[in-house]
Amino acid sequence: MTSGKFLRTVFFVEILKGLGVTFRTLFTPPVTRRYPKVKVPAKPGFRGLHALAKNADGKLKCVGCGLCGAYCPSKCIYIYTVEGEDHNKVVDRYEIDVLRCIFCGFCVEACPFGAITLSEHYEYSNSSRQAFYMTKDKLLENWDKYFAGPKGERYFRDFWQPRSENFTGREDQAMFSRVKLKEKK
Amino acid sequence: MKETVDGIIGAGGFQMIINIVIILLKIAAVVAVALLHVAYATYWERKVIGHMQVRLGPREVGPFGLFQPFADGIKLFFKEDIIPANADKPLFYLAPVIFFVAALTSLSVLPFFNGFVIADINVGLLFLFAMSSLGAYGIVLSGWSSNSKYAFLGGMRSASQIISYEIAMGLSLVGVMMLAGSLNLTDIVKAQQQYPLGIFAIPQILGFFVFVVAAFAETNRLPFDLPEAESELVAGYFTEYSGFRFALFFLGEYTGMLIMSAIAALCFLGGWGLPAFITNNVPHILALVLGLFWFLIKVYAFMFFYYWIRATLPRYRYDQLMAIGWKLLIPLALANIVLTGLVKIWVKGIL
Repeated sequence: MTSGKFLRTVFFVEILKGLGVTFRTLFTPPVTRRYPKVKVPAKPGFRGLHALAKNADGKLKCVGCGLCGAYCPSKCIYIYTVEGEDHNKVVDRYEIDVLRCIFCGFCVEACPFGAITLSEHYEYSNSSRQAFYMTKDKLLENWDKYFAGPKGERYFRDFWQPRSENFTGREDQAMFSRVKLKEKK
Repeated sequence: MKETVDGIIGAGGFQMIINIVIILLKIAAVVAVALLHVAYATYWERKVIGHMQVRLGPREVGPFGLFQPFADGIKLFFKEDIIPANADKPLFYLAPVIFFVAALTSLSVLPFFNGFVIADINVGLLFLFAMSSLGAYGIVLSGWSSNSKYAFLGGMRSASQIISYEIAMGLSLVGVMMLAGSLNLTDIVKAQQQYPLGIFAIPQILGFFVFVVAAFAETNRLPFDLPEAESELVAGYFTEYSGFRFALFFLGEYTGMLIMSAIAALCFLGGWGLPAFITNNVPHILALVLGLFWFLIKVYAFMFFYYWIRATLPRYRYDQLMAIGWKLLIPLALANIVLTGLVKIWVKGIL
């Protein structure tokens, strides 16, 4: 042991340095965010509570193709379709078990119509399990709550933009008839 | 009234009753004030450590979280009192009481300002050592009676730790006793007036160092909190305690810290001794109040040091703890005694 090291040990230089660090941090402003009073806005593209998108007419965008449910890694999307009045396909029930969802966002990527989205909303704790079982009505309600107004529209466009809007295609290309109709409008 | 009482027990008896009433009032005042200080010591600790860790500490209960100690107390009071099925019940009930009573009894010999002490006994320091050892019984018994391996290990560790460090602490204060020539704490404070700055910490720097380290170990505080090492022993000796019994341990621990800080302030830092030019130029009452504040400032500075160390240092390993106690502190304390004795013989007139 050199004399310098010996002196450092005897006079606790390391400990004194540590004490200096803690004393300095005593006067630095705390980094605590007082959560319920001060809320941190979600980062862009945050994957929060699900919502089912509505089109301009206020109708459900979902056509009941079932791609989201097939793609879902935790298999928590249940879709049931029935035959409508003019023999078209009508989404009868669209249900998400949010407690099983892992918020990967694959359902959003899988959807060809941009019908399922994830909102910025993350404060939905509840003491009943039932509240986390999202039915079609609840999901549509979420759309009105969290995607209403210009902010919601921008969020939807920037992060959950439907693939169908990028998907221009050729006139003679095989398509879902409904998509073709929309493109013509 | 006086005549009747005199008729029954005589004039001396009346005087005795008056004395007992005065002592009881003093005890009530000291215990109430000390417990309030202990309550706010927890608040202050959480604040200091919070800010040292760049957090806020308690903020929600009352302005700046000032009612947090009361909220904690009420919570602990209304918690369910759980006693393990195979616990040794009489000892399980007794252990926290022993611990708490030993801590509170130590308060009786501490002079808070000139002339204010509940029991002005001439073996004050020895009494403090005795009480702090008695507190270890509470810890060991709680560890034994809980019938839990964590509590048992905590109790065993505490026993060996307190025994090891008690020696070092006792020896570190021998230097103070030699300089003061007394075990009475009031006399020790008065003896310090002739020394530079009115403190023993300068001539007894070695003893002070040994005392500080041993005081940390005696009160089971970081970096020597092996008996309640959270990462290994859940909570140590009071793992199985809940509700108000847990609160007794908690209060006892913080009272112990307060007492160790008070001993440090009284024996090494000059206690309530103010410089002569202040005591001579202000009224007597004001001098007493100033002395009390001076004493409390020293106590709180030492308490702050406790928190500061807790926020800075990690826990020592068990063999390191024992090595520090037996191989470093005890030889240092012995060397301090020899040095103090030699200096006292050689330079009699000066020191």
